[in-house]
Amino acid sequence: MSVTEQQQPGGGGNPDGDPREALHDRIAADSLTTRRDYLRIVTTVSGGLAVGGLGVAAGILQRHGEEPDGKAPAPKRIAAQLLPGESLAFRYPGDEDRAVAVRMDDGTLVGYSAVCTHLACAVLWRKDRGTEGELYCPCHEGVFDARTGEVTAGPPPRGLPKVALTELDDGSIWAVGTTRSGESIEAGLCRQLGDDRPDLAARIGCPGTGGGAEAPSAPDPSAATTPGRRA
Amino acid sequence: MTEPLEPVEPPRPAEPAGTRYPEYHPGSAHAELNRPVHERYPQIRPTSGYGDPRVRHTGPGPGAGTEQEPERSSKLTARLALAMSVVVGQLWALTEVVDVWMEGRTGTAWWGAGFLCLSFLVVLGLWLLDPKDR
Repeated sequence: MSVTEQQQPGGGGNPDGDPREALHDRIAADSLTTRRDYLRIVTTVSGGLAVGGLGVAAGILQRHGEEPDGKAPAPKRIAAQLLPGESLAFRYPGDEDRAVAVRMDDGTLVGYSAVCTHLACAVLWRKDRGTEGELYCPCHEGVFDARTGEVTAGPPPRGLPKVALTELDDGSIWAVGTTRSGESIEAGLCRQLGDDRPDLAARIGCPGTGGGAEAPSAPDPSAATTPGRRA
Repeated sequence: MTEPLEPVEPPRPAEPAGTRYPEYHPGSAHAELNRPVHERYPQIRPTSGYGDPRVRHTGPGPGAGTEQEPERSSKLTARLALAMSVVVGQLWALTEVVDVWMEGRTGTAWWGAGFLCLSFLVVLGLWLLDPKDR
């Protein structure tokens, strides 16, 4: 008997010849992967995405520099000095918050999170790229503007969070605060200092504090008024 | 001169009085031929796939193996296509939710999460339109 030849009917299945049962058996027997299975899989994926969106909105992702208790990060001395054209990798405010400080050729001091916003690779300072250097992610050719932290090329979806830096008279570099992606340093500092240090927030002119812009009278690292610039 | 042979159709039961179309009974008039595929063709396994023509053309018998309800197939395809389109939109929305959360716009992130949940309800509804469909 060839493989395509039918076996003789009989012996199980549908001995009484009920056509409804025969139809049910026939439909149920085609147990190959069907579009219905794909529809169920798509529904499951959709539910997973919905749960993921709720989780993200609820805060399962950690933002750079965000403490669990919501307090402002303490100032941290990161270097004794930083010469023009050089960069420094450090961690601020926590040990897992990688950051990079760059002293540009014109003396501007900038600091950013060193975690690429694309897939969290390390962002490097490349002085030889661009007109005045670039922050470069080698994983997928992501490029960030060194002065603003915004994306200038590649796949990163948003700019780098900033790290507010200040330099004291002795040349030491201090990290005094962090911002979120796309947030200005002033807005980030005001957000972090508004609750914990209202007096300091008033001194740097945060809205709603009733104060105005005022330069620090003492070389207190936490009293930086022009972060990101040479003091 | 011989005339071309016309296909000989099997005899059909007489239409009941009062109905224009007879009631349709898919499959063979011989019940033993309507056994499940794996019984009729023991060589076909559940993993054989539709590449085996005997899965789709499951004769013999009039109507055996043909699509017995074409509208059902079209509707299922449309539901699947719609659901996949919605999921593509959800993927985009999730990236936006992550972006706005990272930028600190928590309220917008919650709106995005609501959009994701609504989209899931749409897909769930597409799935539940006909849960017994195969």
